[in-house]
Amino acid sequence: MKIGALKEISLGEKRVALTPDSAIQLQKLGHDCLVESGSGLAAGFSDEQYKAAGVEISTNAEELTKTSDVIVKVLPPSEAEVKKFSSSKILISFFYPGTNEALLEIAKSKDASVIAMDMVPRISRAQKMDALSSMANISGYRAVIEAGNNFGRFFTGQMTAAGKVPPAKVLVVGAGVAGLAAIGTSTSLGAITYAFDVRPEVAEQVESMGAEFVFLDFADEQTDDGSSGGYAAVSSPEFTNAQLSKFREIAPDIDIVITTALIPNREAPELWTSDMVNSMKPGSVIVDLAAEKGGNCKLTVLDERIVTDNGVIIIGYTDFPSRMAAQASTLYASNIRHMISDLTPEKDGVIVHDMEDDVIRGATVAHNGEITFPPPPPKIQAIAAAPKERIPDKTPEEIRANEIAAFKKQTKNQIILLIIGGALMFLVGSYAPASFMQHFIVFILSIFVGFQVIWNVSHSLHTPLMAATNAISSIIILGAILQISSTSSLVIILASISIFFAGINIFGGFIVTRRMLAMFQKS
Amino acid sequence: MEMGFTSAVYVLAAILFILSLGGLSGQESAKRAIWYGIAGMALAISATLLGPGLGLWWLSLVLISAGGLVGYQLASKVGMTQMPELVAGMHTLVGLAAVFVGFNTHFELVNIAYMDDAVKKTLEGFSALLAKKSSIEINILRVETSLGIWIGAVTFTGSLIAYGKLAGKVTSAATKLPGGHFLNAAAAILSVLSMAWYLNSGELLSMIILMIMALFIGYHLIMGIGGADMPVVVSMLNSYSGWAAAAIGFSLGNDLLIVVGALVGSSGAILSYIMCKAMNRSFVSVILGGFGGSSGPQMEIKGNQVAIDADGVATMLNDSENIVIIPGYGMAVAQAQQSVAELARKLRAQGKNVRFAIHPVAGRLPGHMNVLLAEARVPYDIVMEMDEINNDFPDTDVAIVIGSNDIVNPAAQDDPNSPIAGMPVLECWKAKHVFVSKRGEGTGYSGIENPLFFKENTRMFYGDAKESLEKLMPMID
Repeated sequence: MKIGALKEISLGEKRVALTPDSAIQLQKLGHDCLVESGSGLAAGFSDEQYKAAGVEISTNAEELTKTSDVIVKVLPPSEAEVKKFSSSKILISFFYPGTNEALLEIAKSKDASVIAMDMVPRISRAQKMDALSSMANISGYRAVIEAGNNFGRFFTGQMTAAGKVPPAKVLVVGAGVAGLAAIGTSTSLGAITYAFDVRPEVAEQVESMGAEFVFLDFADEQTDDGSSGGYAAVSSPEFTNAQLSKFREIAPDIDIVITTALIPNREAPELWTSDMVNSMKPGSVIVDLAAEKGGNCKLTVLDERIVTDNGVIIIGYTDFPSRMAAQASTLYASNIRHMISDLTPEKDGVIVHDMEDDVIRGATVAHNGEITFPPPPPKIQAIAAAPKERIPDKTPEEIRANEIAAFKKQTKNQIILLIIGGALMFLVGSYAPASFMQHFIVFILSIFVGFQVIWNVSHSLHTPLMAATNAISSIIILGAILQISSTSSLVIILASISIFFAGINIFGGFIVTRRMLAMFQKS
Repeated sequence: MEMGFTSAVYVLAAILFILSLGGLSGQESAKRAIWYGIAGMALAISATLLGPGLGLWWLSLVLISAGGLVGYQLASKVGMTQMPELVAGMHTLVGLAAVFVGFNTHFELVNIAYMDDAVKKTLEGFSALLAKKSSIEINILRVETSLGIWIGAVTFTGSLIAYGKLAGKVTSAATKLPGGHFLNAAAAILSVLSMAWYLNSGELLSMIILMIMALFIGYHLIMGIGGADMPVVVSMLNSYSGWAAAAIGFSLGNDLLIVVGALVGSSGAILSYIMCKAMNRSFVSVILGGFGGSSGPQMEIKGNQVAIDADGVATMLNDSENIVIIPGYGMAVAQAQQSVAELARKLRAQGKNVRFAIHPVAGRLPGHMNVLLAEARVPYDIVMEMDEINNDFPDTDVAIVIGSNDIVNPAAQDDPNSPIAGMPVLECWKAKHVFVSKRGEGTGYSGIENPLFFKENTRMFYGDAKESLEKLMPMID
């Protein structure tokens, strides 16, 4: 199949859906790749690099659309682009089918299949093609860089000869993919980072990234049971109030706020109110990653950087991934490549559009002249695991009680064993002749000594132990040596063979044990 | 020499043997302990050779030297990966020797029965001892002898099959003749019957039937046990070789044989117990072969196996601080211990904290992995037991699983219906990242699906362990 990447036509979009690296991987799946001339230029991929990777360069978008079987793009296509599609074409790009119904209708009328990268279900198996997460990761990173660019101070605290520099304090609201990326970037720049999320169970992730989780004084906190597909759901009014008052309390101390709170198919919740902005120090920066959906701060202006009257900078850009076009293209192209790899199960260049597959079904919004959006709920639910039940820590009294119980049980077991053993010995003793009993006592005592001694053998020396016991079990040679002086020649022959075998064993066993033990070395 | 002298030396030898086994509690003391064992053996043999009324001592010396030469050749050449075969092979010799010594006792007994009292008085050594026995003592002797022969014969064929399985000469899958354990049970009943017959008649034929039955049981029992249960089997046979020696010791009235047999027997029994506990299975269920039935459908596994190439693994390793390597039988099969050790050395040279986690049943012999790593000069203080390291996984950046499967299977904890439910496992999935070096997709010996391979933080590093590691090595800097 031919896979063609169209040049992005929207203004300021620098990303590209196919990179030379991803093209090489796609060719391994048996596909041919085309790219429109100059597509990758803004992301740093020249036509020559594509050619070197075996990609055919097409100068004409129309031509490319006609010859390709699969068309890959970043942003949703324009109506004009979709109109050029013919049946059996597959389009893979962001599509936002919920808001692009007209476009979807056109695709349907053209009989084309559309796989929307923004509709990939959030299940573990599909993570490798989750383009939203890839882009969110970049946004989170870039948000911190953008904030740093506008922030007039160091992130990290320093003691210089000229005096002390306090570290910047960063608050990240929403610990999703973007939020966690922002936290990671911010902590590695040296800022004191705080993070908040309505799902308290992400606190662990936040803390693992080196940030401090802002806990609310609120009993009935929300949980992420996975039913919302790993996204946050709407909070109760009481919860929202508790959250706002907490933010109000810390706002004057915070230098940089990065808000990433989004709820699927809704306007972004207002989390950073104007009075909080007013209480911030001049020169503070707010980066609102939710600007596209109205912003977590109502003062945010879409796609603009504004300065409030009290000198707080609010950034409402929405094109963070495009601002890092090289990185974004690499990640997006490999998301696409994974998607195509799932569509090519036999790796033979034949696309199988399997509508039974959860991931492919979920992402397909138009297929065979029908609109297949919204998809049925996936068979496999969500990423988040069921909340684990906490086992309450045992109190010292309980531990003590357990110890006593264990001790008592051990004592009981030992006494029972002693009684049974004693009874058995008595039984044997009352029937067997004295000559037997002598040996029997030796036998029992030896077993007892054996048990006491062997329990202390280190696990790592079990193999040498076996080799050594092997060697000493050849003590049976004594029997053969005693018998070899017999008058019967048959006995002599058998005894000789036994002595020979046991000899092999004694020497072999001890030598190999020594070899092994000599190898154990301390560092 | 006097009988008293021999006994005194025997006591000394027994103490030396006990010290020798006790010294194995630590790596350093073990190096001394092995000399105690050698000294004990030397004393015991010399005392016997110099003992009262012994003829043909020169023949014994020649045979011991010849055997020693063969043993020396064997033991110096064997590779550490072949250790399980060697141990099993050596058990066959002990088993066979026990059978022969047992039969000799019988022949001597028959000889003496035809002598008149005057001749009996002239006897020396072992025959003299037999000649003095009363009739009840002779009956006990017969029980002891037949027990010695029976255990020895089971040890012989059992070890032979175990050797074949470990050396790859016999299929390592569990195979049984039609009739399964009924055949074993029938053979056991026949053994008891022929033992009773021998007790009453002293017939040679009954002993031969007894031996054949025991040989069959040894063969059939071990054939029915799969490759991964070999640690238990080899320890069990180790134990049997001890009990055989003890039984022979009873029949010869030799206390040293009894002491050593009991020591070895209990040692093997403890090892078997430790191995069984490490698999959360009862001894009986291992010996009868196959896994116990599961009580319901196994948990469905979500997600897929994500592959990674050497480049990705190297990048991750270079960025990690805490690394734990979990070797398994696959490492021994691929002979990859040197490469693993080299990897650990390189990572340690960069100041990273590299440790090894060893599950008690990793490999085919108790402690097999420790010996392989020691051979590859991995210092033993970074080789940890399961209990020592299991709590450290949450703080581990990367866990590398090389050729292990069931011992890192989270289903043992999560899925009550899993055939290995309840088995203690290495909780490597708690590490931030897990790399699994494995030949390909698919389940291991036990056929149990491993959810670890499907976890989000797991990456599969497919390919032969040795080749994969060699590819990885130059990228670590």
